[in-house]
Amino acid sequence: MGSEVQYQPGHSDGAEKNAGVWGLVQGKLSTWWTMMRIALEERLVYRGDFALGTLMRFLPIITQIFLWSAIFMARGDGTMEGQSIKGFTIHTMIAYYLLTMMGRAFSSMPGLSSGIAQQVRNGEIKKYLIQPVDMVGFLLLNRVAHKLVYYGVALLPFVLVFWLCGGYFSEHFHSSPASWPSGSRVAVFVLSLVLGFLLGFFMEVCIGLISFWFLEVTSLLFIYMLMNFFLSGHMFPLDLLPDTARMVVDWLPLKYLAYFPAAVFLGLVPDERLWYELAIEVAWVLFFILASRLMLARGLRRYSGFGG
Amino acid sequence: MSTTELPDRQQTLERMRPRYMQVFLTFARNSLVRDMTFRMNFILQCFTSISWTVMNIGFYLIVFQFTKQIGVNTGWAQYQFFIFLATTWLINSLVQAFFMPNAQEFSELIRTGNLDFALVKPIDTQFLISFQKVDWAALSNFWMGIVLLSYSLWKLMTMPGDPLQLHPVVFLLYPVFIICGCLIMYSVMITLAATSIWLGRNQTLYNFWFYLTNFSRYPMEIYWSGWGWSLWGVFTFLVPVLVVINVPARLLAQPMNPRTPWELWLTGFALLATVLSLWISRAIFRRALLSYRSASS
Amino acid sequence: MPIIEITGLSKAYRVYEKQEGLLASIKGLFRRTYREVRAVQNVDLEVEGGEFVAFLGPNGAGKTTTLKLLSGVIHPTSGTATVLGHVPWKRENSYRRRFALVMGQKNQLWWDLPAQESFRLHQKIYQIEAGQYERTLDELTSLLGLKSLLKQPVRELSLGERMKMELTAALLHQPDVLFLDEPTIGLDVVAQHNIQQFLKHYQKERGITILLTSHYMKDVQALCQRVVIIAKGTIHFDGSLESIVDRATDHKLVTLQLAEGESLEGMERFGTLEKTDPPKVTLRVLREDVASVLSSVLDQRRVIDVVVEDPPLEEVLADIFTQVDKEDDEVA
Repeated sequence: MGSEVQYQPGHSDGAEKNAGVWGLVQGKLSTWWTMMRIALEERLVYRGDFALGTLMRFLPIITQIFLWSAIFMARGDGTMEGQSIKGFTIHTMIAYYLLTMMGRAFSSMPGLSSGIAQQVRNGEIKKYLIQPVDMVGFLLLNRVAHKLVYYGVALLPFVLVFWLCGGYFSEHFHSSPASWPSGSRVAVFVLSLVLGFLLGFFMEVCIGLISFWFLEVTSLLFIYMLMNFFLSGHMFPLDLLPDTARMVVDWLPLKYLAYFPAAVFLGLVPDERLWYELAIEVAWVLFFILASRLMLARGLRRYSGFGG
Repeated sequence: MSTTELPDRQQTLERMRPRYMQVFLTFARNSLVRDMTFRMNFILQCFTSISWTVMNIGFYLIVFQFTKQIGVNTGWAQYQFFIFLATTWLINSLVQAFFMPNAQEFSELIRTGNLDFALVKPIDTQFLISFQKVDWAALSNFWMGIVLLSYSLWKLMTMPGDPLQLHPVVFLLYPVFIICGCLIMYSVMITLAATSIWLGRNQTLYNFWFYLTNFSRYPMEIYWSGWGWSLWGVFTFLVPVLVVINVPARLLAQPMNPRTPWELWLTGFALLATVLSLWISRAIFRRALLSYRSASS
Repeated sequence: MPIIEITGLSKAYRVYEKQEGLLASIKGLFRRTYREVRAVQNVDLEVEGGEFVAFLGPNGAGKTTTLKLLSGVIHPTSGTATVLGHVPWKRENSYRRRFALVMGQKNQLWWDLPAQESFRLHQKIYQIEAGQYERTLDELTSLLGLKSLLKQPVRELSLGERMKMELTAALLHQPDVLFLDEPTIGLDVVAQHNIQQFLKHYQKERGITILLTSHYMKDVQALCQRVVIIAKGTIHFDGSLESIVDRATDHKLVTLQLAEGESLEGMERFGTLEKTDPPKVTLRVLREDVASVLSSVLDQRRVIDVVVEDPPLEEVLADIFTQVDKEDDEVA
């Protein structure tokens, strides 16, 4: 009975509510632990595979290094010394791409939207009508477990690559007005990564939940992926965009998925703007959390209206 | 009719040779019919592919705001590079349309044991599994490539000052080397697919293909520095993916005179690489078939 | 001249420890543990043209492996075989044009397209002349009752209908030899019966050679004169159905329906009680005792109906298989 507190907030008295909440937390913790363990076991079987896959994900960076070197060389007529594009030297550029890999590791949610859409399509969603499990919460915990395991195993390759490319970072901080990030800036960096995770998660959940109304959510998903790649800073630093385009893109939440954390770490975001940007990011996260709750409630209600 | 068949029939059957073109056309037709029954999906995929190409152009338009060329004195200025880009789309769309779906299907065939059915057909197995499915939606990029190619060529040929002048034979050679490029990619693909007989179905393998071909999407000049040379060596002589797009693109985009000897050499090498790749990949494929276990019932 | 000749055919597998993931698989290429499975061991067999032969055996007996060897899907470890004068695993096109393989529960027709599109593909691959193709297709679809289903996508057909389509596809090029691997598995009784009737008719009409593997006795009883029993990769029996029963068992089942009022008490004296279902009772009686048992019962009780029959074939087979297992254990 305690776990139903979630759905009927006005129906129980204070004491029962508190017991219910504690039971809820305990339940959540143990579920979380079990999921973690299962995900871990599953992943460890493929750990060699996984490490290899993670390393391979860095391969495109190699081509980016060569491409941008060629671009900078051409600009400098044979030398990359002192060449910069909108404040980016070659070192900034490479450091930037490496950092967006990190951002993407946090904010990408493979299979989330399509998974939800599939559950709606084949009726599995019904279980959330019957069972006192919060679907979004469940998915969130699942993703957290998954990401933790991912970082657990992928840590080594990541550390390796960043260590190998340390030169780019030091060169960047050596030549730019910014310096190696201070403690507070690092804190903001970490925060932006976590928020990026939440933002990416809830955005994709919302897209998936659209399938309550439009079955063919895959079309939307494609468009989202496309825009994500181009406008999140994954493909290139958003600083390179022409001014008008930049202004528009700045208003979109997509930049927080890859661009923002990288920009924070590299000192591209001035101190004054740091907290402002962060606040906007939090606002976006809250917006999507709210949207997802609304959509889930409305969607389930609509769904239970159909069929038996 | 009894089993002691008329000698005529036996003779005819023994002497028949498979009609590959006809079978391929049937494959193409069947795939088209199938794609058309999922019309929405088809249109969506076309739209997505085209959007990708638009984004790509967008990216390079931005890049060329900041530099005149890619690489020092390589000749890859904006429109020349667009020719390179268009060539990328032409080749990749062909590979995506005709070979990709089959490579993915192959590991499924092995897993389910349905490869058995392919092995009992009176037609070359490699042909059968390489061509049975055609992804028509992937060809939308082909047309984008044609459009970009035409536009860039026109721009270059009507440029005041030093317009591009191309010998007509180049227009004949271009498609030839496009096909060579596709065949090299095919060979790499079929080799990777064949290994799934030994290694089982694996997503990492598929990703590997993607990362491998990533190296081929840029003019080879960008690798000509420091340790890039070893990369250039590997991807030109070991797994010749660098040759795939670079050779046909250079034919159209780089000035005819002066044609340095190494370029001629490279072009000849492209032909050699195509033949060798096909030969080696076929050998690997046949070896793989010998090890085929067939799924148990 | 036998159509199929097999001498000393063997196929052994090495079953490796399963490797998960790409890296482990690659490592596994260099060093791994395995055990050897002898799927087929030293099999000798001859099949004449026009025969309808059934392979019976428990799971893992080697029936399907034998069929796959004969259709060239896999290579043997040792031994020889020729079918229609060809060595199957050479996979010559001239051989592949003359036989067909059908596997139960495996579909080779395109899933999203109507069956007739897949048939057309078959026509092209096997190079069946247009007129001949139309005639054969017509004949097969009439016999199997598929005419109205040709234009429906295969995924919309029922299991039985799909199987019939598979059979049609297999017979379009009029093969001389047909390999059927558990064709009726998973089908409902009606569909099974239809397919059995079709195969029987077709085989008699055309005189083609058919090799069938099955678990179902009904298939075997309906269709085949010759049964080959395979277990643990070797042939344990090769002959007619009747001779199996004759050889394998020494009892009969006697079912008596007693008249009203008669009790079933004490029937155990006449034989082992197999089943009681008042007023019926079934006894297991040694063959040589049947006559005497019957006369005793008829003397002492009022009997309305008597049925004397062989034990069910499944039981006979199960007996044979357990015996085989025992023999193997002794040898090992």
